[in-house]
Amino acid sequence: MKKLLAWFDHRSGLIEAGRQYLDRPVPGGPSWLRVWPSTILFTFLVQAVTGFVLWSYYSPSDQSAWESVYYIQHEVAGGWLLRAMHHWSAQVALVLIGIYALQMILTGAYRAPREMVFGSVVLLGGCALGLLLTGDLLAWDQNSYASTHVRVSFLKLLPWIGDDLFKIAIGGPGPGFGHLTLPRFLALHVGLFTAAFAGLFLLHGLFRHRADQLETATPERSTSYWPSQAMRNNLAAFAVFAVIMLLSLQNGVNPEHAGVELGSPADLDPANKYAAARPEWAFLGLYEFAHLFPGSLSLLPIFVIPGLLFALVLAMPWIARTKPGHYFNVVLILSLLAGLALLSVHSIRKDLANEEHQLAIVREADQARRVRLLALGADGIPGDGALSLLRNDPKTQGPKLFAQHCASCHAHVDAEGRGIAAEDPSAPNLYGFADRAWLVGLLDPERIATAEYFGNTAFRGGAMVDHVQDALADLFEDEKEEVESLAIALSAEAELPAQREADARDTARIAEGKTFMVNPYGCTGCHKFHDKGRLGGAPDLTGYGSREWTIGIINDPAHPRFYGDDNDRMPAYAESDDPAENLLSARDIGLLADWLRGAWYEPE
Amino acid sequence: MDIHHDHPMTETPTTTEPRRGFFASLAALALAAFGLAVPALTAVAAYVNPLRRKSAAGRFIRVASLTALPSDGTPRKFPVIADRVDAWNRYPNEPIGAIFLCRTESDAVEAYHVVCPHAGCSIVFQQSDDGGKFVCPCHVASFDLQGKRLDKTSPSPRDMDTLEVEIRGKAEVWVRFENYITGITDKIAEA
Repeated sequence: MKKLLAWFDHRSGLIEAGRQYLDRPVPGGPSWLRVWPSTILFTFLVQAVTGFVLWSYYSPSDQSAWESVYYIQHEVAGGWLLRAMHHWSAQVALVLIGIYALQMILTGAYRAPREMVFGSVVLLGGCALGLLLTGDLLAWDQNSYASTHVRVSFLKLLPWIGDDLFKIAIGGPGPGFGHLTLPRFLALHVGLFTAAFAGLFLLHGLFRHRADQLETATPERSTSYWPSQAMRNNLAAFAVFAVIMLLSLQNGVNPEHAGVELGSPADLDPANKYAAARPEWAFLGLYEFAHLFPGSLSLLPIFVIPGLLFALVLAMPWIARTKPGHYFNVVLILSLLAGLALLSVHSIRKDLANEEHQLAIVREADQARRVRLLALGADGIPGDGALSLLRNDPKTQGPKLFAQHCASCHAHVDAEGRGIAAEDPSAPNLYGFADRAWLVGLLDPERIATAEYFGNTAFRGGAMVDHVQDALADLFEDEKEEVESLAIALSAEAELPAQREADARDTARIAEGKTFMVNPYGCTGCHKFHDKGRLGGAPDLTGYGSREWTIGIINDPAHPRFYGDDNDRMPAYAESDDPAENLLSARDIGLLADWLRGAWYEPE
Repeated sequence: MDIHHDHPMTETPTTTEPRRGFFASLAALALAAFGLAVPALTAVAAYVNPLRRKSAAGRFIRVASLTALPSDGTPRKFPVIADRVDAWNRYPNEPIGAIFLCRTESDAVEAYHVVCPHAGCSIVFQQSDDGGKFVCPCHVASFDLQGKRLDKTSPSPRDMDTLEVEIRGKAEVWVRFENYITGITDKIAEA
């Protein structure tokens, strides 16, 4: 064995080199102030190891990126922890580099002959920021897309080259991101910035070694690296590990919220862009700083001033050649950090007080939960991506479509007033449309002429209102029960998912209710109902509130099957056979009908 | 003690090679540099290829029907649906943008781009009793109902971008849709 090791060392020189490395003199003796490079190396190794596995799962396409991250987060054993450690070690790395550079400035350790040592640390910080910025987009959720899009769009501020730089960065003509954006960001993240980080770290070590050599003219106080400095370094690395683990486990281990949050998938449709996008914490101060300038001067706070400050920091070792210069550096860096911290706090407080902002965050969280639920459903995530789950989900799209196309006249509010209010209420409240309670209310002489039903419509003084107010007023208890049976029978026509069990249970009452519609309550005098009554007087009650019926009345309420010539102001949303002429597509009308009927996926 | 010195391979050669001429070295260097430059330049050219992809030129797209616009001038947001091309894919009938439409007279409509001229976020309309205003959620630029900036130090370098509108047929609203470069004072269409 010894022979083998001797041979290996002879051929490779590695063992001897390692021994020399461990025995190298540490000028001034072991110190806790010298642990920072080791901790930075530790965070880099954590990122490299976790990053390699994340990379092995990642699919950099706008139709599968979020889905692959979702898979890592929720399906791969330990995947959420892997992702969390990767995320937090990147944040911690940036902080450690900041502490290291700050310490060099405060202790004067950036002065000659250590200019290059300091410069390499500052550039290392730049690389860490680059890793953070490019890595952020890869999750491809609403926040990462929207906030990265803002950042990259700022490239356009640069005169002459800005627009071209933007196109090169996103790999297409824009203005939205496309297929080639994620591959480019991934290549920058795992290729360019990772290699640059490793290279700079290596250079930093060489510069440090050289500076140590230059400085140790009197090496009497130096000790060897092993064991006392190595022990300090390893303990510091362990402390960093503990911090990363605490941060990674801060949301517990329940797979529902464990690790780093993954929002809902990025939607390239500008109409659905996330409205609460904010930069990563490291940029929050700069974000708020930019607010101090009018838009025509955005170039200053976003490129010119940060660029000049960066150059100034790189030049600090030379400024520090005189004592006042060193004090200038110390004051500058401390006030810079304090200013950024204050601006960040101000920004956070402003957002906390901004109701619209908070509402957008809540909506996005709802959407993220919803897409997770749909992805867990029996059908899983389809090939064209998880976004189509949301686009085809009545629960997600219904309220948007209703607010856009129906809420100028119809409300959709529950008994407590929650929901979508009508801008100018002139048609029935459609909350619970065609369910038992809704129909019982419609047949209530006290309620039919209120704003809830026909109060604001042309039917206010019509035959239906008259009939209900005459024939259904002052009923005996048993008659009231008959009207309720009638409502239950009519509601059963809708086959609402929420009433499936009740409808199956009440078959006898439904059969009875159907006969009441003919006699004694005379619905079929005006309405058609299966083989009783005729079309032409009032809407057909056959299949009332069913998916097919609801789609039909939205398509064309003035069709003889519905209100015919008596139709009030409701527009026909799809009366033409040519889709281009219709107000709404068949798909949107289907989504609206499903949402009104409460027909959407819910887990068992 | 350096073990390498014991090995015959590392012994100093007894004969020295003839000195290469200066030009020969230079030529070798130039050849190697050329060999590296060709793949490097090809790589750069391929990397910046997106510069050759042009944005779709502005063209009229049917967006909505007049009946869908409130008569009091309240803005409504509409998607702009057209074929979207992304690198190797063509998606038929996808949202390629969104606009606000406001009815100014019974048959006159103004169209505003939802994209904020500042940094490309999507502007939202906030309704209130006095009519409401447009607000961009990212950097809180606000605009009045005519799309004019409400704030002298607005983060937006220009007013909201208007788009050309045509009313065709009975009541069809057609809009000449294009995107404009964000962040600059002038309204210039993306090329």
